This record gives sequence, C-alpha cells and structure tokens, in this order.
Amino acid sequence: MPEAQYEFFIDPSRCIGCQSCVQACSECDTHKGQAMIHLEFVNRHYSTQTAPVVCMHCDSPTCAEVCPADAIKKTPDGVVQTARKPRCIACNNCVLACPFGVPKMNSGAELMMKCDMCYDRTSIGKAPMCASVCPSGALYYGTREQIEAQRPRSMPINQFQFGQQTISTKVHMMVPRTAQPEHIDVLSAMHDHTSGHDIFLMMHDE
Amino acid sequence: MVKRHPVRKAILWGCITTISLAIMIAVGSRELAHFDAALVAYTFATLFATFGITYRYTMWLQRPPTAMYWKRGWQMFFKPQRLLTNMRNLFTRTSSDFAANRFIWKRGKLRWLAHWFIMWGCIVAVAITFPLVFGWLHFASVPGSLDSYRAYLFGFALFDFPVDSIFAFLMFHGLVWSSFAVIFGVMLAMWRRMRDHGAASVQQFVEDILPLILLFAISVTGVMLTASYTWMRGYAFDFIAILHAITVIFTLLYMPFGKFFHIFQRPAQLGATFYKDAGATSEQAHCRRCGEAYSSRMHVEDLISVQKQLGFRYEVAGEVEHYQWICPPCRRAMFVLAQTKQWQGNFGDQMFSSMHEQPAAPRFGNPVISEGPLGHEDQANLHF
Amino acid sequence: MAQLPRSELEMIAVFGPHLAHAQGQRLEAGVEPDRLVKTHCCFCGQQCGIQLKVKDNTVIGFEPWYDFPFNQGMLCPKGVKRYLQGAHPDRLLTALERDPASSGGFRPIGYDAAIQRVAGEIGRIQAQYGNSAFGILSGASLTTEKTYLMGKFARMCLKTPYIDYNGRLCMVSAGAANKKSFGIDRAANAWDDMLHTDVIWISGANVAECAPITTSYVWRARENGAKIIVVDPRITPIARTCDLYLPIKPGRDIALFNGILHLMIKHDWLDHEFINNHTVGFEAVAEHVADWTPKRTAEVTGIAEKGIQQAAEWWGTAKTSFMTHARGIEHHTHGVQNVLGAISLVLASGRIGRPNCGYATITGQANGQGGREHGQKCDQLPGWRDLANPEHRQHIANIWDMPVEEMPQPGVDAYEIFRKIETGEIKGLLSLCFNPKVSLPDSDYVSAMLDKLEFYTSIDFFLNDSARHADIVLPGSLQEEDEGTVTQAEGRVIKINQAIECPGEARQDWRIIQDIAQALGRSKGFTFDGPRAIFEELRRASKGGVADYSGISYEKIEAQNGVFWPCPSDDHPGTPRLFEPNSWNPVAKGAGPFYFPDGKARFNVAPYTPPAEDVDAEYPLMLTTGRVISHFLSGTQTRRIGPLVDQYAEPRIELHPQLAMRLNIQEGDWVTAQTRRGEITLRAQVVRTIRPDTIFVPYHWAGQKSINRLTIAAQDPISKIPEYKVCAVRLIKASQAPAYASQLEPQQ
Repeated sequence: MPEAQYEFFIDPSRCIGCQSCVQACSECDTHKGQAMIHLEFVNRHYSTQTAPVVCMHCDSPTCAEVCPADAIKKTPDGVVQTARKPRCIACNNCVLACPFGVPKMNSGAELMMKCDMCYDRTSIGKAPMCASVCPSGALYYGTREQIEAQRPRSMPINQFQFGQQTISTKVHMMVPRTAQPEHIDVLSAMHDHTSGHDIFLMMHDE
Repeated sequence: MVKRHPVRKAILWGCITTISLAIMIAVGSRELAHFDAALVAYTFATLFATFGITYRYTMWLQRPPTAMYWKRGWQMFFKPQRLLTNMRNLFTRTSSDFAANRFIWKRGKLRWLAHWFIMWGCIVAVAITFPLVFGWLHFASVPGSLDSYRAYLFGFALFDFPVDSIFAFLMFHGLVWSSFAVIFGVMLAMWRRMRDHGAASVQQFVEDILPLILLFAISVTGVMLTASYTWMRGYAFDFIAILHAITVIFTLLYMPFGKFFHIFQRPAQLGATFYKDAGATSEQAHCRRCGEAYSSRMHVEDLISVQKQLGFRYEVAGEVEHYQWICPPCRRAMFVLAQTKQWQGNFGDQMFSSMHEQPAAPRFGNPVISEGPLGHEDQANLHF
Repeated sequence: MAQLPRSELEMIAVFGPHLAHAQGQRLEAGVEPDRLVKTHCCFCGQQCGIQLKVKDNTVIGFEPWYDFPFNQGMLCPKGVKRYLQGAHPDRLLTALERDPASSGGFRPIGYDAAIQRVAGEIGRIQAQYGNSAFGILSGASLTTEKTYLMGKFARMCLKTPYIDYNGRLCMVSAGAANKKSFGIDRAANAWDDMLHTDVIWISGANVAECAPITTSYVWRARENGAKIIVVDPRITPIARTCDLYLPIKPGRDIALFNGILHLMIKHDWLDHEFINNHTVGFEAVAEHVADWTPKRTAEVTGIAEKGIQQAAEWWGTAKTSFMTHARGIEHHTHGVQNVLGAISLVLASGRIGRPNCGYATITGQANGQGGREHGQKCDQLPGWRDLANPEHRQHIANIWDMPVEEMPQPGVDAYEIFRKIETGEIKGLLSLCFNPKVSLPDSDYVSAMLDKLEFYTSIDFFLNDSARHADIVLPGSLQEEDEGTVTQAEGRVIKINQAIECPGEARQDWRIIQDIAQALGRSKGFTFDGPRAIFEELRRASKGGVADYSGISYEKIEAQNGVFWPCPSDDHPGTPRLFEPNSWNPVAKGAGPFYFPDGKARFNVAPYTPPAEDVDAEYPLMLTTGRVISHFLSGTQTRRIGPLVDQYAEPRIELHPQLAMRLNIQEGDWVTAQTRRGEITLRAQVVRTIRPDTIFVPYHWAGQKSINRLTIAAQDPISKIPEYKVCAVRLIKASQAPAYASQLEPQQ
C-alpha cells in the first residue's frame, strides 16, 4: 500500500491567497468545472490573510452522521465523499453541521458537493490538484518523512476542539514544534479579526 | 417504548405491509381465481422484497436526522397556512423533479438521459407486470366474440378491445417497449461509467454496476422471450423463462439492500423542500460571531437536537452556547485563525482582535458564481 | 492615420476581449488526451514546468509536471488556466487589413497579400525616408530564437538602428546596475540558494502575486530559520507574515540602502577581506553614505528608525543571506541607483558566490532574461555583445556574413522610438509581442503616435489594444504552437515544446519575419527551417560572449531539465551559481570571479534623488502601479480567460481608510484619480495594507481603465526605464459611475 504513506498537510499561515487551488480544483475530474475548496479573505480590510479550507476528512464525520439520507460515505482509506447522488435530498444538514464549514450545496442539482481529496487522483497515487499547484506550500501532499524534513519548525496535528467536542481528522494541520499543542481550540479565535502587520507600527512619524 | 426497540418496530411494520399485500393479492385476484400459478415464485419474491424494504425503511426513519425530517416534513406540509402553497408545490415538484428529473439534468445531461429512460422503462414495466402477477389485472375473450378481448381489474370488467387492433399490439408488447427504454438507458449509463474519470474513481461494483447489469439482464431475457415465441416458434422458451425469472427474482431480493432502495428514499426530498420553504419564511438564525443570518432558526435548533441525540458534544461555554450557532464561513475563519494564534510570536504578524467589535465574516476570494457558490443556498453558506 | 478605424466599442464587439470558459472537451471528465506535452508556462519569468493535455490539436487542460525541479508541479492560477487561451473565439485566424467600412474596422485578407503589403510599405518608407525611418518593437515573452531573429532582422534585413523591446519596461535598471557592478546581468544564483540562508531581503517585489512560485522558496527558508525582510509601500501577501516589514515611501529605496550601509559601516558588519580582495570603490561609497544616518533615512524613506536599525542588524550580522528585488525598485527615474544600492549591501557583506548566499532580480517576463541577451535591445548584439564595440560588430558580421559597415549603430529605447515618431524620424513600425498602448506610461501620447505613423503593422494572435491602430495585422502564434528556448529568472535555459499546430492562416512568428524578408527580396540570412536551426546559429554567435550559450543544446536542456548559462562548451554542465571563487570567465580570464578585467566587483556611489514628480499641494498623493496575480502585463491573454477575469475582474484603487475617511470614500465607491496627464475613475478598495499617502492601481487594463494614461513618461537616464512606480496624484470621490461602467464588460 504505497499510497497509504501519502498524507495531506495544511498550513494556512503560508497561504498567499493566489487562488491557484480554486482554479485547479475545478480541473478535478470528480467535479469538473466547479471548485470545492474554500478560499476566503479572512478580513481584507485589515490584511491580506486568506483561509484555504479543504475537507479535513474526519474519522467520524459529523456531516455523514447528520445526513438523513445516508448519502455521505467514507471510503475504506478514510476519504469522505461527496453525497451519493441517488440518495442526497439536498436538505443542507451537512452544510450546517460540518465543524469546518466544508460542504457546498448545489441547489439546482439538489446535491451536496464537497472536497473529496481529488479521489480520481489520490485513489491511483497522484497528488490532489490543489496541493499539486499550491505555490506557498499551504496545501501539501506528501509523506510524513518529507514534511518533517522540509519543515523543521512545524509539526502536524489532527485534533480539533469545538466546545466540548474533539474531532480527529485524516488531514493534518501544521503548528509550531515549540508549542506542542494537543489540539487546536477553534473557538479560541472567537474575537480575532485577522492577522498581519500594522502599517503604522513601522512608519516614520512626520 | 417502541422507540427503544427499533428492530422490533421495523419487523412489525414489515409484517404489516407484507401481510397487507398478501391479502390484497388474495382479494384482488378473486381468491386466486385469476392468479397464474406459474408466477408464484415472482409473488413470493415480491412479498419478501416488500418485507425487506419496509424493514429497512422503518429502520432508516428511526435514525435521529431522518426522524426529525420525517416529522418536520409532514408538520410543514400540513401547516394550515401553507397547505395550499404546499399542494401547488407538490404538484410542480412531482412533475419537474420526478417525472422530468430536472435536478438530474442539472447534474449532467448524459446522466439525465440515462436515468430518464431507465426510470420510465421500469415504471411502465412495473405497472404492467405487478398487477398481472398478482392477478389484479387479466384479459379474457369476450363471450360470444372471437376477435375481442375484455380487460378485468380486481375482477371487474373494464372495457373490450379488438384482438388485432393497434391498441392491442401496443398493450401486449408494453414490456418490449419498456425493455428497449431500459436497455438504451443502461447502455448510456455504462458508457458514462466506463468513460468518466470521476465516476470511475468512486463507483463500486455492487452499488453502481450490479444494478445496471440486473436491469440489463431482465430486459434482455424479457425481450428474448418475446422473440422466442414470436419468430422462433418458442425455441428455448422454457430456458429463457427460467433465466428471466432468476434475474427478476434476484433483483427483487436485492431491492432492499442496494442502489434501488433510493426509489423509496428519494421522495424524502419533497419533505426536505417543504421544510426549507417553511424555514426561508420563518425566523433566521444569526451567527453569534459575525451577526449575519445564515439559516432558519428552526433548522439550527433541530440540528442541535439531532446532534445531541447522535452523541455529539458541540456545546460551548458562554454566550455562544452551541457551535451550531456559528455560521459556516466563520467556522472556516476561526479554524484558520486558531492556527494563526498558535504561530503568534514566531513571525512578524500580529493578531487584530477585539472583544467589542464583531469580527466580519470572511468573504470568498473569487467573486464569481462559477467558481464560488454553487447555487442560491450556497450563497448563504458563503455569505455571498 | 488619424484615428481608430471604428469606435473602440465597435472594435471590442468584434475582436474582444471576450471571455473563454471551459466547455466541451475541456469540461468533460471522460476525455482521454491524445498526448501530454512537457513544456513551460507562457506567462512570467519563473517559467514553471507544466504538461499540456492535447486532444484533436487543441490544448484541453493541464497536468502538473512534478519532476521539473524549479516548481515541482506548482502553478499559479494563470498557469492553471492558460490552456483556455487556445481555440479562443477572439483568435486571429487570418491577416487583417484596416478597413473603416468593415465592422470592427478590419477586413480579413490573404496571408500572402498581407506580407506583400507589409514588405511593400517597408520598402517604400525606407526608399523614401531612409532605412532608419522604419522601427521595430519586440518583446521579452518570445523565445530566445525569435528575439535573436528580430535583432538580426533589424540590423541585417532592414538595416535600421531602431529596434527595442518591452524588456525596457521590465528589469533594465537591474540589468544596467548588474553590468556596472558585476560586469554581467544574470541572477547570481539559482533559487535553491535561498533555502538555507539566514536572511532574505525582498525589496519592491510582490513575490506572492508576481512570482508566486518563489513563495515556496521563501517559506521553506523560513522553516529553516531564515528571517524575512520585506520592503514595500503595501503589505502584500508575502509581507503579511514576514519577520520585518518596512513600509517605504515609493521611490525612496536608495535612501534605505544607503542608510543600511551606513549602519553596517558604523557597527563594522562588513566582510573586509571580501571588500579588499574582490571589490573596488568601497571607500567612495562609504564616504557617500556617511550622511545617511538613521534619522535622515527615516525622514526620507518614511520608515521608522527602529525598523531601519532592526533591518541593518539582521542583514549586518547574518552569516548567509539572499538579496532579491523586482520592479518596485527598478521602475524609477533612479532605478539603476536603487539597484546599485542593493548590490552595495551584498558586496559589503561579502555574501555572494558561495552556497546559501545570493543576489537576484526577479525577472518578470517569460523570457525577460533570455530576451535581453541576444540582440533585440537597441544597443546590443547576440551573446551580450555591444553594438558599439568594433570587435563585437565584426564577430557578429562574420556570423551573419554581412559587411560590418552596413550594420547600423545603436538606436534608442522603446519610449524614445515614439518620440522619434513625433519628430517624424520614424514613419513606419512593426511590433511583435508588445502592446505599447497599454504598457507604456502616459499612454494617450503613445496612441497619438501610433496614429501618426504612415504604416504600422502588428503581429499578434489576438487583436491587442495597440494593433487596433494598425494598417495590417499579421496572425502570429501562441506559445504552445512553436518550440524554442527561454531563459527563466534564475538564468536557467529551458525548452518550450510545441503542443499543437497554428490554426487557420496563423503562422509561427519566425516564419512571418522570414516571409517579410523574402518579400523584401532580402532573404539572405533568413532561410532557417525552424527554431533549432536558429538556435544553432545563436550558439555560434554567442560563443565567447558573456552570455555564452555555445555549450547548450536542445538535448542537453531536456536531459538536465534546463542548463544555466554561461555554458561555453559541450561538456560544460552550466553555471547555476555565478561568481564562485576561482571561477573563470571570458572577461577576467581567471583574474577573479567578476566580469571585469581585474575580476573584481564594483561598488558604485548611488546618490538619492526624489522621484521625477514629487507630491505637492495640487497633487498631494503618490500613485504606484503593479500587478495582480490573475493577470499578466497588458492583459491581452489573461483578460480573455474567463476564470482569471472572475478572480480579479476590474482594476480598483487601493487606498488606506485614513485617506478614505478624509475624502469621505467608502469601500466600493467610484473614485477619480487625476495626474497631470490624465484621469481615471475606478472603484475604491479601502484597506489598511497600504501607506496612507499612497494609492495603488494595477495596470493590466486598456482604454478608460488603463492606469498608464496617468503615469509619467520620465525615464531613468541610464536604463531608460519609465517611472511607473511613483508619480503625483490627487483623488476625488466621483459624483457618478463612469460611462464605461454600463458599456463595457469588466475585462474590456
């Protein structure tokens, strides 16, 4: 199982908002013409920070649990798929329930669609489109040895805290090795607008 | 009480529908007077399928999210002030979504063409064969007339028609026409599945290919039966008949388990739309981070209760109360910002934070529909 | 010609820009391509490797090329969607002749008739007014073979001194400063030298949007512990999380470099051994920067003193470093001085010519490097030879088999060519791969000059904004329709491979040029049967020059995934890192690593002068221009690609909320910017990521949305680069939407 060694790592702090991932996502054969990845300006007024969000592929996916139609399935290799077309009744439960805000609702087609880690590619050993093209390394697909060698300051974690709920995921997020957090508390950012430099901080007062 | 015994409940309902059908068969065929003994295997397979489907359907309805939708769907449908609109919508949606498969058209033209032919082929075939098998419908010569037939439904005479009329030809060959439709649809579907890289990566044999093979086998053996007695003086007729029976019976037994179950699940789509209609005009939920509306309050509250039943613990201490009160865009922003916080102090950036000013929801970077929201509902998902 | 043949709106209706979106085979998930062609992106100077999916002579998509070392499969959005430029509804499939009676202002004519007409007009103008009455504008997005041919065409076939190229608007300031300091103009290092360096200094380079793949090198270096210093008037995406961000006033870069060098000297953060052994001129520079105290530097640059101190300390005390810059410091009337200042920091630190120590300008255009080496510059001959140098002239005359005395003397820069149109010295013009109406500053003047020409012919695959003024338009080729070499930002020579054939009557550009030569009856030297034959001659022509390609072959490029020049012999592997100790070059001949007879690098005194047009009470703000990630240069290609237009549809004026509040401007309001040359009305984007005394507008749009109608045509006295990056502007809230808002689609 050589492909099992390849994993998806995200590091949003690297993202430059170029949208290569968005453009490449729509080239993926499982949802050609439509991008599944989310890339938003966190708060453009303050900074250029952007949030690239792919499906984290939860070990126990909330979206699948709340689906009234049993339409969301996980493959044996842990990839949570787009809703199965015959079953999805477009109720929007998954869109509202996903803790990461991942699924999209295609109203006309009455179908939830989501990032499936480019299953047409990853299932035959190719890297996903977004992680292939990403120029910043914010989205990375490779082995654990590769990421550890290339990123001595970072370590991957896959535990996320939402209130009392812990969610563990197939996709990993990079955090500082010095911090060694057990999980990322998503609600900790409740009052944060965005991050960046304050231009006045380094401007000469005239 | 029944709630705590979902299996018992499912068995109970299974028995009720199966016995009801058995009684209907007995009554409809006038105490089996018009029942063709040769078709008894088909009848028993159907009875088994009825039990299986009801069992699974009942089990399915008892899952928390499904139960919620089942309950709410009917509630919303029968709301007195909405009933008239709902009836109108029911008619339009039944015709556009079920008869015309409009939503499948939106998913892909080829997929639509295949599905439409398979679906209508099957509907016609079912409408012809089941009443015949159950003895609910039969034809007999009109007493005193050699060139006329009389149709009987549940033993009541319906009408007479000439044996050599075009009507008779079309009617007696109804299964041939439906077979052609199914064969055409199945071939399109197979072609698509063999060609489309996306479909190829996610399809599974039992779930996606086997149903097509079964439909194909039923149709081809059925057409062969006709060919055998029409042009080949019944060559190998018995063999083909057994082959046909095997394919049909296997399919009937497969119905509760595989892809064909969607035929019974699909109507839930109507319940979902009535629920969404009602939600759209009712009070909205406002995100407790950015303040923007993102769904109906009813939907959010229902989801909270469903998540609790499922054992999720998304409760949050403080004013947020439950994570479900945060809109999807803010979830994405917070997910990323929580990582940003981890890196604070490592690079030159700082957090812009405020306990007083509500953070704005993030905005999709690419402001155009084709690459962004996939429809009107997704616009709320993206605050588009 | 007095004016456009038809109104701009009518021409746009026929010739676009219209948008292409994926459809048909490009949208189907079940199409098996006929083949995958390994080639490179058609846009910027990074030249990312990419595989094009080809089906039925159409490029239908892409597949990442993971094995190409520079980008390893990475692409920016332009690269991802570049396949949509082919089989485009706006594609020119025949030659066009100006005809005010036709809709769109042009009528199709046969290719041969068009060539005859062009040759006839060239012949007539040259016979009537002399050889130099016909000028050529070429481009740096062409393959090196084509740029070589264009230089040869001007000097040997037309015998006109007037050829220049759009690299003049690109990195010529860096080129000139590199020549003055190192004696050679090439990125000194491959980007790999960034990965394990202590400090990366990025001045005036919007890396994330203009050289996106370089981001991965910067972030990887950061993972290894590098400090990132970014100097820019805007907090660009690469600056957002950098370790030190210095918000410099546009046009004050040399002041900052002088101030940093001042502190390096003060704290003795110098490599004395390197300075003594490998450089000359340090004392004069040291004396010059003595006045540049942190206080004065802060006052001039607008950067807080603590920022200057911090940057100096990090740079001064680093063991290894990489200095890089781009158009932000180069697009100035003192662009060369700015670059000289940057180079002084490198030389004073001694951190060049060894592993993990580097210096480079980030070249912008596809072949910004190769396109400036082989003779399409106004003063240059192949192999970076000098058109004024008798020895060099003789060498090339021998290769070309022409009498050396017939070879014209150096001409003038691209903007000066338009001034010569105004004075009547130039009557006819041929342009290829250049859209001066959008890309030159003060562009209303440029349009007027195009109309003043007796004859103008443009070679392009779309009817670009300048070509609307043409008498004859010749249908050229897309990058994927031809083969040839390109030299990317690092100095790596790579190979563009042909994926498809030209459609209709479109021809590869080198064929068109040779057809014109033949129709002129001057086909000698223009009978190449393909790019490979041109390259073989180029190898011979460059042999012994600074830019020596003689050891490079198509096969070697393929085998090595690119070859860094100089590569003087068949068994030479190429030179990824310049200036290594004990390295040999044809100028120093072993005396030292730098390209001067003594082998030593030059320190150059770089005095600060304010921008050509400083702010005043009437025009109190600074206007700076640049790019956005989804568009490229004048937008001729990217404004026709639907998904790229979706991403960034129309130019906006970026301004700080403090300024916006003063002018009562809200996000999304229509705002008018005015300079002494013109005005423009665009929507406001109010963000805290720009200095409050500066506004920014991207330049990829034409007509009423073209910011270059406002920029100043002042040029650097040495490099002749225009000052795009700063001029004085005022801003007022517009009372209503501009007329174009209801007439034009966003990209038009």
